[in-house]
Amino acid sequence: MSVLARSVGNAFRNKVRTAAVVAVLAVAIGLALAMLVANQAVGAKVQELNASVGTVLTVNPAGGQGFEGGGEPLTTDQATTAAGVPNVSAVVGTSSLRLRNAAEAAAQAAAQTGQTGQTGPGGQAGQGGPGAQAAATLTTSLTAAVDAGTLGNRNQQANGTAGAAGTTQQPVRSLPITATGIGAGVDTTGKALNITQGSGLGDYTAASTAALLGTTLAEKNNLTVGSTFTINDQTYTVSGLFDAGTTFGNNAVFVTLPSAQALAGTPGELSSMIVTVNSMDNVATTKTALQTALGADKADVTQGQNLQTAVSSLDSVKNISFIAFVAALGTAGLIILLIMVMLVRERRREIGVLKAIGAPNRTIGLQFVLEALVLAALGSAVGAAIASFASGGIASALISSNTTTTTATTGRGFPGGQGGPFGGASQLLNSVTATASPGVIAGGIAAVFGVAIIGALVPALLTARIRPIEVLRGE
Amino acid sequence: MIEVQNLVRTFNSGDRTIKPVNDVSFVLEQGTLASIVGKSGSGKSTLLSLLGALDKPTSGDVVVNGVSLAGMPDAKLTEYRRRDIGFVFQQFNLIPNLSAVDNVMLPMEFAGVRKAARAQRAGELLEQVQLDPSKHGRRINRLSGGEQQRVAIARALANEPKLILADEPTGNLDEQTGDHIIELLSSLSRDHATTILVVTHDRALANKTDRRFRLQQGKLTEEPVRGRAVAANV
Ligand SMILES: Nc1ncnc2c1ncn2[C@@H]1O[C@H](COP(=O)(O)OP(=O)(O)OP(=O)(O)O)[C@@H](O)[C@H]1O
Ligand SMILES: [Mg+2]
Repeated sequence: MSVLARSVGNAFRNKVRTAAVVAVLAVAIGLALAMLVANQAVGAKVQELNASVGTVLTVNPAGGQGFEGGGEPLTTDQATTAAGVPNVSAVVGTSSLRLRNAAEAAAQAAAQTGQTGQTGPGGQAGQGGPGAQAAATLTTSLTAAVDAGTLGNRNQQANGTAGAAGTTQQPVRSLPITATGIGAGVDTTGKALNITQGSGLGDYTAASTAALLGTTLAEKNNLTVGSTFTINDQTYTVSGLFDAGTTFGNNAVFVTLPSAQALAGTPGELSSMIVTVNSMDNVATTKTALQTALGADKADVTQGQNLQTAVSSLDSVKNISFIAFVAALGTAGLIILLIMVMLVRERRREIGVLKAIGAPNRTIGLQFVLEALVLAALGSAVGAAIASFASGGIASALISSNTTTTTATTGRGFPGGQGGPFGGASQLLNSVTATASPGVIAGGIAAVFGVAIIGALVPALLTARIRPIEVLRGE
Repeated sequence: MIEVQNLVRTFNSGDRTIKPVNDVSFVLEQGTLASIVGKSGSGKSTLLSLLGALDKPTSGDVVVNGVSLAGMPDAKLTEYRRRDIGFVFQQFNLIPNLSAVDNVMLPMEFAGVRKAARAQRAGELLEQVQLDPSKHGRRINRLSGGEQQRVAIARALANEPKLILADEPTGNLDEQTGDHIIELLSSLSRDHATTILVVTHDRALANKTDRRFRLQQGKLTEEPVRGRAVAANV
């Protein structure tokens, strides 16, 4: 019989009570671990978003309201003006197209009268892809990789308000595919495209029949590098595949800017401009200078605001989850403290016996700390199981409840075309996956043990004050 | 050798103070088997707890082999209890969720005896007190009162103490087993020079001891043991 064996034995002395204590501890520890997992996942996402907000400004036509836009389109001349603004290091023009599957469009046109009102506002919200305003709708041989129903439902919550503003579309079965003509190898937020297979488009400022496809879109259509597809009967060849990191972002096609302008029949017009500023410090002044140079009545300059909204809401989720982690951890420590104080009081006489037969104070103290750790270990085992099931749900519940409030208050305020970037941002939010990684769980359990030791130390020190004469006192 | 010098222990119960031990002095040579008799509530257990350093006297001192317990720091008192004293409690005070063997092994664990040696000695001691071998591994709360009493005696002998303080060690035993325990204690005092002080109501036991004391109204007096001369050094 060692101290440890005695502690384990004591922990199971009253099995019903031990089970109850472990259950309560497990809830607290499980909650703490789930919060830690959520905190880590959100933290990683915040970093990713911050990196992408970076030094990029987005210029959209002024005065547009909602999905269809309303302002004068931007022009290549304005791109030249923008490039002349001090501290601007690059200007990339984009031209957005919306592609519908040719067969589906035909079938739908035939059946349209019977289908009005089929999808709710939310179903449309998802269409607010990057730079989607004033986009021309064209037909394609491609089939969208995102099912309208599911994405609509998913975005309905987060994007409801913004979606409502743009609901003038006919019902659709699958989402349109976003095709963007782009003047450089970047996505609509200015981030370099992550080409996973093949190569880029070479010269992005020359007309060509090469195209980049999102991975999921390519997969859905069984296309690889070198395959062909059509847009408005024009054949395109897949030169590379990219991964945008989100379901929505991967349901997209990139072609060179002149190709897209030609397809849309709007040469010289731009849907938006992606302006890169030479340093983070100059972003604010350059934004003002750019706005002045282009004219407030012609263009809106935004600084990835939607992403910033997303980041700040994610930041608050991160803070909330951290506070909740600390609170749950503290609760676990308090539970251990209280139960151990109770046990010390209950075993007062027995502690007196141990002292009377010559047990040193530290042996008795150690025995109680170890007993607390046995309880903490059992609570952690059950708690980790709870956390691994619950953390995903808890993380997304935190995020969706939080972003719903933010979008509800800020979503409407954005001038024309903001549905686009916002759609992307909410996709990013939804893509926060809270997986309980062993490292995080292990760190959390280490924290639990630290708190358990602190919680057990107080009652263990109390045992030092019990005198051996207690043995002669009645129970 | 144990010297008790003007020992006093008072308790405050309500507004009056009681003095179960009131100016008690005596000397026991090493290897003496002595008994204390007295009415219930006369203070026998209180006196024993002072000798065993479970409690601190209101005044007076206990000197064990020339070392005074008064003013000894708590850690030293713990060591004294562990190494020099074997205490048999009136209420046994065994750890209820441990087995008989584990209870006997506890003092040896605290004294740093190796596990194998502990287990062996615990088994031997339980045999000496005639606990059925089938009950050595049984939990205390499944043993009878007499069985528990013998485990408590075995535990007190575990670290080969110089002084055994036994509070009614035969109170729950049948005559035959009681006689055996008395024989065991006498042989310890005879062969191992263990000083033994037994509190008892058992005349048979009291008459078999070298010396007999009576505690009455806080005062200790020595009585002649039948067939023995009263020792001079009270
Ligand atoms: N902690 C205490 N506080 C107050 N009074 C006490 C305390 N401990 C003992 N007493 C009192 O001191 C007196 C002596 O008690 P003690 O237990 O020493 O008697 P005893 O001689 O061992 O009796 P018994 O033969 O019944 O075991 C009793 O009157 C008891 O009520
Ligand atoms: Mg008594």
